[in-house]
Amino acid sequence: MQWFDALVQGVLLGGMYAQYALGMALMFGVMRIVNVSHGDLVILLSLIGISLATSFGLGPFWVMAALVPLAVAMGWILQKVILNRVVGDDPLPSLIATFGLSLALQNLMLQIWSANSRSLPGGGIESRSVEVAGIYVGLLPVIVLVFATALTLCLDLMLKRTRFGRALRAAAADVEAAAMTGINPRAVYASATAIAVGILGFAAVFQSLRSTVAPADGGAQLVYAFEAVIIGGMGSVWGAFIGSMVLGISQAIGFRIDPGFGVLAGHLVFLLVLATRPQGLFGKS
Amino acid sequence: MTSVPLSPTDATLPKVTVRRQTASGRVALTLFVIALIALVAMPWWAKTGTIRMILELCCYIAVAQMWNMLAGYAGLVSVGQQAFMGAAGYAMFVLAQTFGVNPFLAIFLSLLVPAALAVPCYLLLHRLDGPYFAIGTWVVAEVFRLVASNMGWLNAGAGMSLNVMKDYSGFERNVAMSLLCALLILATIGGSYWFLRSRYGLALIAIRDNPVAAASQGVNVGRLRFMIYVAAAVGCGLAGAVYFMAQLRINPPSAFDPMWSNVAIFIVMVGGIASIEGVLIGTLIYFIADRWFGEYGASYFVVLGVMTVLVALYARTGIWGAISKRWDAPWFPISRHLILKAEDRA
Repeated sequence: MQWFDALVQGVLLGGMYAQYALGMALMFGVMRIVNVSHGDLVILLSLIGISLATSFGLGPFWVMAALVPLAVAMGWILQKVILNRVVGDDPLPSLIATFGLSLALQNLMLQIWSANSRSLPGGGIESRSVEVAGIYVGLLPVIVLVFATALTLCLDLMLKRTRFGRALRAAAADVEAAAMTGINPRAVYASATAIAVGILGFAAVFQSLRSTVAPADGGAQLVYAFEAVIIGGMGSVWGAFIGSMVLGISQAIGFRIDPGFGVLAGHLVFLLVLATRPQGLFGKS
Repeated sequence: MTSVPLSPTDATLPKVTVRRQTASGRVALTLFVIALIALVAMPWWAKTGTIRMILELCCYIAVAQMWNMLAGYAGLVSVGQQAFMGAAGYAMFVLAQTFGVNPFLAIFLSLLVPAALAVPCYLLLHRLDGPYFAIGTWVVAEVFRLVASNMGWLNAGAGMSLNVMKDYSGFERNVAMSLLCALLILATIGGSYWFLRSRYGLALIAIRDNPVAAASQGVNVGRLRFMIYVAAAVGCGLAGAVYFMAQLRINPPSAFDPMWSNVAIFIVMVGGIASIEGVLIGTLIYFIADRWFGEYGASYFVVLGVMTVLVALYARTGIWGAISKRWDAPWFPISRHLILKAEDRA
């Protein structure tokens, strides 16, 4: 029963990681770049959300309604100002640019919000639980998982069914051929990053509701998103989703074995996947 | 069709010599040797505080140059070289403190640990594509930190102290630190220069310019990258072992501090990637900025971060790139110039 409980908690934790991993999978799939400041953006949005909630007395829902459009705008600006200049075959410029951005953001947040951990007041929702099949699960983690599943489904449908999704996939497959058929790659890239960072708007609200956030936490979120994407297999949003579940379960079981072993267990599963199945569990070799 | 003999003795071919060294290179090499002698002689001209400061400077140069070899030449962008610094640092502490090995001997024995760890790390990480490789190196550094935090015989999160250094007098320690500084610079800067001038250096420069074309010319890209990765791990390990010997204390957050990657990237990008000169210029800038603005803490790092972004966006070749565009006076010349012999031209 204890292990079944860990499994359930792991899946719920995976719901949180999926919200970071989706944007990373999308950006890498389309532009072959990794935004090193991915995790710092989650923390920045969380801290903005917490400040909004405390100064205007907004509830979590209204914070989310404010953060998601803000996140979309941030992603669009990030692409226009920085990423469009560094996207290309050489991975170095994009890595260095986003690495510098990460360093600047982390320390800027430290200046504005200090190093203290904060969390978003959820009006009781964060402590409520429901009984499912004999075990109690938190209501909030269930909501997180539902949101993560819905976001994955929407992103997958958008990529498969819409005109914009086709443009995105075309640009990912061959950017020059896509440009010849009338797709503007820069515009497609800007929308992709806007969506990727927009999803972080949801993640920011849930992250600050279910635990605390501090300016230095961004690196860990980036690493979890990255591990989930690699475990699941590149190039598919459902891969990133399943990878997040595997990572969440590994960490939850690790925490049951020893509290100091939880995060390490996730890293070890990641390295194991890399050693045995480098294309990821669901990737095509 | 007859085959064309390409031997240099063939009378039909013009006589050429290959020029490797330049006047500026000779001046710089002389200054480099003088600098090494000055480092060795530090106990006789510098105070303990100055020696410690220069030791830190030497560690920055060493780590930045190792990052430069990885990212600038081999195309392996790492943000986790602190993994090997901490691993060698811990190995040195365990050998000297737990097993009673002479600490100065322990520094060299401890280099076996990063070398041995770099092999499986590379075999795993090289499967990751471009930018994902970088984040992979970060995971490895995190794994090392978490493992060290959980290991009882490394005293877990509390860390270790190097009490055996009490057996040596202050002067003896200064002599050792000075020798180690000189060795660190000789191994990382001198070693890189020697490597870049060798046959392998030629292959490495070909990889930097275009890995696919280099492979088609018979360069074994995978093997060379592997060699550079292991060599960089050992170089960073030496810097780590020397740094933590001077610190006399080690614990997981300091041993595997990502700050080292931040600083190395800043130094190399601002100074000028893929050049030894750039590393020296970048280190000087960082070191002076750190002394002057370090007290401003977070806002100082905001400026460093913004500068790194700006360099990546607008000035990819850094300061040395701008200088070498205007004046062709390399300090560490590695290019080969063909010079026609005068009598042939006459």
